[in-house]
Amino acid sequence: MSWSTAIRTVIACAIFIVLHYSLRPLLAWRASIDFLLIALLFGAVRMRPGVAAIYGFALGLLADSLALGGFGASALAMTLVGFAASWLKAVFFADNLVLNGFFLFLGKWMFDIIFFLVERRVHGGELVMQIFVWSLLSAAVTALAGVLALMVLRPLLETRTA
Amino acid sequence: MARTTTRFGSRLDLLLFGVCAVLALVVTILPPDLHAPIASGLRRTVVAPLIGLQQGAERWRAAWAASQQRALAQNSLALRAAEANALKIENDRLRRLLGLGQRLQWGFVVAEALQGGGSSEQFAVVLTAGSAANVVPGSPVVAPEGLVGTVQTVDPTMSLAILYPHSEFRASAMAVDGSAFGIVSPHISGGAQEAREGQTVRPDRYMLEMRGVPFRRQLKPGTLIVTSGLGGTYPAGINIGTVVAELKTPEVWARTYLLRPVVNPAEIGSVMILLPQKAREGTGAVWEAPGSLDSATKGVVAAGDSIARADAALEASRRAALDSAVRASRPDTAPPRDSLRADSVRGLRIPGRTPTTAPEGATPPRPAAGTDTVRRPDTLRTRLR
Repeated sequence: MSWSTAIRTVIACAIFIVLHYSLRPLLAWRASIDFLLIALLFGAVRMRPGVAAIYGFALGLLADSLALGGFGASALAMTLVGFAASWLKAVFFADNLVLNGFFLFLGKWMFDIIFFLVERRVHGGELVMQIFVWSLLSAAVTALAGVLALMVLRPLLETRTA
Repeated sequence: MARTTTRFGSRLDLLLFGVCAVLALVVTILPPDLHAPIASGLRRTVVAPLIGLQQGAERWRAAWAASQQRALAQNSLALRAAEANALKIENDRLRRLLGLGQRLQWGFVVAEALQGGGSSEQFAVVLTAGSAANVVPGSPVVAPEGLVGTVQTVDPTMSLAILYPHSEFRASAMAVDGSAFGIVSPHISGGAQEAREGQTVRPDRYMLEMRGVPFRRQLKPGTLIVTSGLGGTYPAGINIGTVVAELKTPEVWARTYLLRPVVNPAEIGSVMILLPQKAREGTGAVWEAPGSLDSATKGVVAAGDSIARADAALEASRRAALDSAVRASRPDTAPPRDSLRADSVRGLRIPGRTPTTAPEGATPPRPAAGTDTVRRPDTLRTRLR
């Protein structure tokens, strides 16, 4: 990855992280957009799997620091998702918005499943409801927002060949 | 060489992933007192600007929610104000109805008028009182403002009444000073056809007409028209409406006047049905009380009357002085023609009522030849009989 690509990726990820802490509380939806996960996936596909795992771990710790319980759950979930995304980057690089959307959807859902299972805050029916209803909804809106962001930031993210 | 590098890279990636995953797991299973300093450290350093952002966003959201709440509160306040106004109007109306009941003292039944029947009976209402309460067909239906209509059919617990805009409505009426008589009927002129066809009723369809007023009797706009008591259906003195203008008709010897009813059909809610005995014995000057008419109209009429009264008094004194001067110069002169014949209509004046057009003490207008001077004593005789 060239310096310019690295800088552009950092800027894009920074934008998503800022949006996570500014736009998300403003919207306050029950099934909210996870901009941190979009930032993770956008960054992870441009890194080596090992670096993506570290990036995921760092982002996860960032999210965990503001959580009341289940410290480390986000870190573990994001490490796994970041590493997996980096391995599957060939799919993500495909110039297909629907595929990208599906990838984001799957990434967010996997993250939620790992997070809720590791956090062990919700159990039984509530956990099923959370995973199969709210997480799915949240994954859908995250995928939609991610696709929109991909369209908007395409000029910034695309790699130029000399 | 390249394969060795790729393999090394893969191993390094796996190693890094493993380290991160193990660290995350370790952090997860750490007791709260051990991971709290880590979280706190992060919040104070890296996450601090993000927390500031989040706080700002939360503040924006709270402000927006507060403004929404304020708008809702304002709306509900406006709604309450509107409801309070409607309640005030209803309260005023009920108070006036109470006042009317107090003035009538006896011989009436209070009923609710239920509007909104079939379109064929647009100007009819169902009253919640019937023969069980001594209501009979033809009983007058009144409101604090004046005449509403008449009962048409009666059942034990309810009755059907026609309102004054109904095509079958008729009432014998007179000017409040008794100077002119006529028959009041709805101002239809094509309105009935419209009603049958289901079209929107014209606003002037709610007006009334006073027909058969002798040609020599001219009524000023604003003159109050009341029931005359002739015919026995309605007792004398119930307000019907005020004169708006004279209508042009092909009739030569009679005038027709357009009347504005004192009762608004839309406001008919609670009414009073006058029982037969009360209708026979009369209501007296019940509708004379202040507030029974639109105060603005009454003010205008009263102002006009006082000026007319002052003018008439001046004219009378001038004539009296002139007459006495003539009498002094010719002692054998016959008495004036007016003193020989009293206007029969004046005998029908409602007790307690004050004339609004013809002032007391002023010489009544002399009837022209060929008018209804013969008919008036007959009508009086009919009434006295």
